[in-house]
Amino acid sequence: MASGDSLVQMAPQEAEFPATTGPGLDTRNNHPVLDFDASLSEVCYFSKVMPQHYAGGGVNVYLHTAYSSAVAGTGAWAAAFERVGEVLDIDADSFASDKYVFVPVPATAGYITVDSIGFSDGAEVDSLAVGETFRLRVMRDGATGADTATGDGELRFVEIREA
Amino acid sequence: MAQLDSESINEVWRDIQQDFSAERKVIPILKEDLKAAIVALDTFLSNNASTINSAIPQPARSGLTTTQKAKLLSYVIYKRYIKEV
Repeated sequence: MASGDSLVQMAPQEAEFPATTGPGLDTRNNHPVLDFDASLSEVCYFSKVMPQHYAGGGVNVYLHTAYSSAVAGTGAWAAAFERVGEVLDIDADSFASDKYVFVPVPATAGYITVDSIGFSDGAEVDSLAVGETFRLRVMRDGATGADTATGDGELRFVEIREA
Repeated sequence: MAQLDSESINEVWRDIQQDFSAERKVIPILKEDLKAAIVALDTFLSNNASTINSAIPQPARSGLTTTQKAKLLSYVIYKRYIKEV
């Protein structure tokens, strides 16, 4: 695959939730979204298979986000990879480090902003290989001071592209 | 009643943001500004509790409990400013 080509896409309906501190599945004018709280760090997971056409050049994770009520400030979002394949004991989590993107809130309510996080191949994607299953953890870190946006942050889509 | 502790302030802060988010009404301020407003209102209520209590005529002032008078105040505020006519 060439740089910039799409590898994996994830919709809100595909999200997997932790026992506590997870976003809520909601709709916004019939657009499915995941509502992330403003005052907590909430996470959800997406399980996928790394496509055969991944060229090993690293990836960019694109977060499509909006805000329920905010029209100012910044949202702190993060993503992390967990390689599963045939190498992980799934009785425990084993994510690589979170990588952050600080998203300026759109000045017009209802607008989606698309922002990317770059991951180099190897440790940053938990050494994930072609054809292996993995989980992507997406977090809004509402507990950090860098997150200043009032109210819910909404995740509309996630896309992973070849870097 | 003493001012709310930080845990209670945070609970109000969390709850009001969830309420605003459910309505999807535009909130043009940052969440720390919202928290400052909550703290200021709590301070105001703490400083003016006796004045508010004095505004309640007898026999309600002495016949109702503090909680009942607080509910009474909240109902009046709701009807005046929140419930759309």
